[in-house]
Amino acid sequence: MGDKPALPPPTKVFSDTLELIINPFFDNGGTDKGLFWQIWASLQRVGLGFSLSAIVGVGLGILIGSNAKIYSAIDPIFQVLRTVPPLAWLPISLAALKENEPSAIFVIFITAIWPIIINTAVGVQQVPQDYRNVSRVLQLSKREYFFSILLPAAAPYIFSGLRIGIGLAWLAIVAAEMLLGGVGIGFFIWDAWNSSLISEIILALIYIGLVGLLLDRFVGLVSQLVVAEDK
Amino acid sequence: MSVFVGIDHIDKVFNLSNGGKYIALKNIDLKIAQGEFVTLIGHSGCGKSTLLNILAGLDAPSQGGVLLEGRQVTKPGPDRMVVFQNYSLLPWLTVRENIALGVNKVYAALPQGERRGIIEQHIDLVGLRHAADKKPKELSGGMKQRVSIARALALKPKVLLLDEPFGALDALTRGNLQERLMQICQENNVTCVMVTHDVDEALLLSDRVVMLTNGPESHVGQILEVNIPRPRKRLEVVKHPNYYSLRNEMIYFLNQQKRAKYRRKQQLIAVAGHGLEKVNLDIGFIPLTDCAPLAIAKEKGLFAKYGLEQVTLSREPNWKTVVEGIRDQRLDAAQMVAGMPLSLTLGLDKKAPLPVVTSLVLSRNGNAITLSKALYDKGVHSLSDFKAYLDNNPGQTHRFGIVHPSSMHNLLLRYWLASAGIDPDRDVELNVIPPPQMVANLKEGNIDGYCVGEPWNSRAIQEGVGYAIATDLDIWPSHPEKVLGIREDWINRYPKTHLALVKALIEACEYCEDRRNREEVLEVLARPEYVGVDPVYLRPGLIDPYQKLKDAEPEVIHRFNQFYANQSTCPGRAEGLWILTQLARWGMTPFPKNWVEIIERTRRIDLYGEAARQLGLPDAEPDRDPFALFDGVMFNPDEPVSYLRRLDTSHELLIQEIDLDAPLTLAA
Repeated sequence: MGDKPALPPPTKVFSDTLELIINPFFDNGGTDKGLFWQIWASLQRVGLGFSLSAIVGVGLGILIGSNAKIYSAIDPIFQVLRTVPPLAWLPISLAALKENEPSAIFVIFITAIWPIIINTAVGVQQVPQDYRNVSRVLQLSKREYFFSILLPAAAPYIFSGLRIGIGLAWLAIVAAEMLLGGVGIGFFIWDAWNSSLISEIILALIYIGLVGLLLDRFVGLVSQLVVAEDK
Repeated sequence: MSVFVGIDHIDKVFNLSNGGKYIALKNIDLKIAQGEFVTLIGHSGCGKSTLLNILAGLDAPSQGGVLLEGRQVTKPGPDRMVVFQNYSLLPWLTVRENIALGVNKVYAALPQGERRGIIEQHIDLVGLRHAADKKPKELSGGMKQRVSIARALALKPKVLLLDEPFGALDALTRGNLQERLMQICQENNVTCVMVTHDVDEALLLSDRVVMLTNGPESHVGQILEVNIPRPRKRLEVVKHPNYYSLRNEMIYFLNQQKRAKYRRKQQLIAVAGHGLEKVNLDIGFIPLTDCAPLAIAKEKGLFAKYGLEQVTLSREPNWKTVVEGIRDQRLDAAQMVAGMPLSLTLGLDKKAPLPVVTSLVLSRNGNAITLSKALYDKGVHSLSDFKAYLDNNPGQTHRFGIVHPSSMHNLLLRYWLASAGIDPDRDVELNVIPPPQMVANLKEGNIDGYCVGEPWNSRAIQEGVGYAIATDLDIWPSHPEKVLGIREDWINRYPKTHLALVKALIEACEYCEDRRNREEVLEVLARPEYVGVDPVYLRPGLIDPYQKLKDAEPEVIHRFNQFYANQSTCPGRAEGLWILTQLARWGMTPFPKNWVEIIERTRRIDLYGEAARQLGLPDAEPDRDPFALFDGVMFNPDEPVSYLRRLDTSHELLIQEIDLDAPLTLAA
């Protein structure tokens, strides 16, 4: 690498990237695509990885949360794994899966899953005794209890887990793509850096932030529609 | 009353994290009829909600059980719907869905349309048509509670359990809901058990109010019948003549409990360390057959077995010296006549109240009423003969010997005389005479008869100077006779010593009860340091059949001396209360307005229970059911004052509050 490129002023950033801003949909083949496509590719990965972690995370969370012994045995392990940075998983997943694409998905999955498991487990444990009593008095079956009481009662916790999870997933994908290449907003940044196009990087950062915000709001909105507040 | 819900001797014990146990509920026994509305009331922490949860099946009792229509309750079920204090509606469901959840589950066999009908009917029942599709967060507190009631009623429960249902509501809403609930319950003949701390609510809604004492070992303190006719209206109920007296009784009960709670807090400081605080004890007794448990505990080494290595049994000449010995603390403990701890606690002879405690009944029965042979020869063979004799000889004075004013001899003799229309204060004269001197006085003609424990009846009978016209079994079988009496402040100072003493004596009582040991008991009693009489006078009743008249056919009297059988060692509260009524009846003490407090403090079932549990014996008190003596007049332990008013007496009934805490603070 030669000299580090200088940081451009805002006006220059704007003029440099005007092309990209007004035309997000071009597709010249290879990785030379408009920003919409770049982001779209990243979002697809996040969508897949996050969906997986949501399904597995909520399932595991409920399982662990409903048994105090299992919970106290496994929780410390989760607390350790949860702090491992997303990128640290990448070499492991590459070694295991050999391919770039599944590895990226796995990194998202493993990053997002911890808060989902932990919050779901807590949510299940926090089902108010009152609701349990209602179900006992009505002699609800295990199945009925699960769908009529447990899931709705734990929903606020589950959703706050999902909300943290989606944020982490978005964080992870950008980093993963920088290393793995291919189409995606993460690699877009890396590519721009290699071409010393600092303005493009700044634009990408703004887009990443905005998309992250939108993702968070989206999960928040879903949670609002699904979760009933008591008060 | 046919029993619909039976709460059968329930204990609830919680294990504490420090390995100890907390006995929350002790021996709760209650029978509820179908359609009855019963309220549980008491201070917070008295375990009333725990009891309700046990009824619901949400919690399991440690002992005893709940029966609903004869079947044991083991788990929660829709036949016992609960209306929870905090409504417990599911916030993610609408009003309709909340009600539907249960209906669809319980009536799963019914077609959809019928279930729908039930749901809609109950939405209308509580007047929530306009809010049927709203979620709980959109409802006010009163509306939420209406949903909760509708949810419960929709399942047609056999019993409706309400846990402070209106506690969080404003007065107006509460009033409306109470009337609505009453109306619904009455129309559908729903059996209800409600927990509340609101006395007006309890009076308005209930047929019976069950008042619980404070925990630990919370139990039924008093049951109040609310005999206000139904249907009741909130504004009219207060005009009923009984309303305020019932209300006052509840408030009074709760105030007594509040004092007890405060006292308990103070006492906790006095708990001692390991081992016994005191091993040299002086215990007073009177030479009588029923001092046997004390003598046996000493001679068989039972005191020593429980670490009480230096027990001195002090033979007292009369009951008065026993009282003085306890008062001036010469004696640590004493054998006492059953009424003595109560009368000392109330302040007998116009002295200041001295709290004296009983946590063990040493003996039951064992007394007789002896009249002089001269009366027998004049044809007085029964109580009615005696009444006729008195009527025919109006000029003469007839004197009777009793051993102490608060002894069962006095109380039973008076009761017996009064039942025949003989006023024990006007028609005869009662004199206090020490037991060993009874026979001599009878011989001298100073008295015409007496009521005393053995061997002093048998001696007069054997010597041909008297005859037993009745035994106490003819008057009140298994009445408490001698008890262990100890100052309350002594027990607070030496709790472990006290426990050891009670355990040693329970074991001694068991030994004395066994007929195989009776010859040995006899041999010990006959020694000069105990009763010191010819064994021949000790045998009747204790070992041999009882002879009421010299040369008459002896009769076998079952349990003439009862020391242990049928858990006779337990100082039941109801019998203590009966003694209180009699002390007041004959003007010896006022009847304490705070009788619940007095009984709780003098009849220490909790200490007895602790000792019994450590010995692996049953620790429960006998049921507090109404009982009657030989004349059949029922004594209801919930209504001592109305019992007193029904009995004949020439004394004016004095009801007073007895303040026990002034002397206690000095001593402690």
